Amino acid sequence: MAVCTVYTAQSLNSTCSISTPSKSHLRFHQKQVIFYTKRTNNKTRISTSNNIITCSAGGDEKTVVIGLAADSGCGKSTFMRRLTSVFGGAAEPPKGGNPDSNTLISDMTTVICLDDYHSLDRTGRKEKGVTALDPRANDFDLMYEQVKAIKEGVAVDKPIYNHVTGLLDPPELIKPPKILVIEGLHPMFDERVRELLDFSIYLDISNEVKFAWKIQRDMAERGHSLESIKASIEARKPDFDAYIDPQKQYADAVIEVLPTQLIPDDNEGKVLRVKLIMKEGVKNFNPVYLFDEGSTISWIPCGRKLTCSYPGIKFTYGPDTYFGNEVSVLEMDGQFDRLDELIYVESHLSNLSTKFYGEVTQQMLKHADFPGSNNGTGFFQTIVGLKIRDLYEQIVASRAGAPVTAAKA
Amino acid sequence: MASSIAGVNLTTPAILSKSSDFPKIHPFNFPTLNNPWKNKNRKMYVAPLSATPDNKLSDLVAESVKEAEQACADDPVSGECAAAWDVVEEASAAASHARDRKKESSDPLENYCKDNPETDECRTYDN
Repeated sequence: MAVCTVYTAQSLNSTCSISTPSKSHLRFHQKQVIFYTKRTNNKTRISTSNNIITCSAGGDEKTVVIGLAADSGCGKSTFMRRLTSVFGGAAEPPKGGNPDSNTLISDMTTVICLDDYHSLDRTGRKEKGVTALDPRANDFDLMYEQVKAIKEGVAVDKPIYNHVTGLLDPPELIKPPKILVIEGLHPMFDERVRELLDFSIYLDISNEVKFAWKIQRDMAERGHSLESIKASIEARKPDFDAYIDPQKQYADAVIEVLPTQLIPDDNEGKVLRVKLIMKEGVKNFNPVYLFDEGSTISWIPCGRKLTCSYPGIKFTYGPDTYFGNEVSVLEMDGQFDRLDELIYVESHLSNLSTKFYGEVTQQMLKHADFPGSNNGTGFFQTIVGLKIRDLYEQIVASRAGAPVTAAKA
Repeated sequence: MASSIAGVNLTTPAILSKSSDFPKIHPFNFPTLNNPWKNKNRKMYVAPLSATPDNKLSDLVAESVKEAEQACADDPVSGECAAAWDVVEEASAAASHARDRKKESSDPLENYCKDNPETDECRTYDN
């Protein structure tokens, strides 16, 4: 059933009744009414015949908020594309808005970039000698207020940080989506913002891999050299270590990317060892496991049944502690070179929250052109995407008062 | 999109104002479609097409590297040095994103069909 929620600027979350004599009941420019649809069980009625909207916007339909933290150039955008793809529909920048907007909107999700909460623009940071990693360059009060408002179903005018000009552009309207993803350098830095997150992810890229990735990204760029790439990483490192890295202790899931151990002394950074660190006891999140939940397992799928190309694939799974928290760690070293390797591995993992057999493989194939589609980064990003879908569905189901049914693996 | 036909970006200030819940580019009357600068409506202004930031960003990257090297020559552990290299990272990331976006949008039909999959020209057939 189509259900709507209407908020007025004056009395948000209140019961309202709007009737328009004209046919265009979607246009309330002058009244500052924000209109959007949501799948909820609230009492709402749309009657298109006489253009009367009545609604009762209750307080129990809140936006689910997900936080994704990582340094610049560490694969946040790719992860976002994988995540929004799991929910179906392409994520696009807001139509007709600022062409340099950092926001991505799809049917289910809105992804906002936390760079938009920079309190100092590029010139300001240069003058004050402060990096974007520094909390002093960011407005956490505004970040908290706006994320809180969206979570409560209130649209906000969010600033736009223009990455081309380095200036703060006029704000854009962000309407409360079903799922809000806040991605950037500091989603878990401020305690108040952290409290608003229903789930949080940290992408932890080791120094060796970060260097390799940035060479790949920047070497062709005019003005850059190995020295400049190295200098940039090193100059930013003190602030990164002080303000970004510590956030990983708060994350519900950490994707750690390291050099392979399958090739001795490998420093090419092409073959990767990727760890998925999943916190235990997180509401609506059941960690993925290999063969037997809670046991320690080392698994090389390549052998008689499955032939792999060099350097092969190796999995490890087991319980561990991470910053004093109980976690389950799933590790994949090596890469997939063929489809049957991927499907073979998927079929041996449990608690994947897939809706049908081979869904992880299908998602990976759909985006075979994305970076990391043949290794643990793409594989674990896809799995985390499915876990977030499951988490969202459990939250919605529990709100509806229906029994929570965990998706089958 | 209508705004890019003349190779320029037409923006109404109302798009960026707080009250625009439904930002939409205003429809143009026929005489002004190809001569937007002749429009008497003061609300409209002409800005360079912002879909070509590639060169601008490449310049920015090259410039920022030079600036960072200078800033660090004086004092390699200063905040100014770190901030200057941070600008390099920001510009490099922006340039990389712009390259990705350009790759995606190189086929106009593909872009059109993304938004209008139901139209005749976007139909795909299995044998």
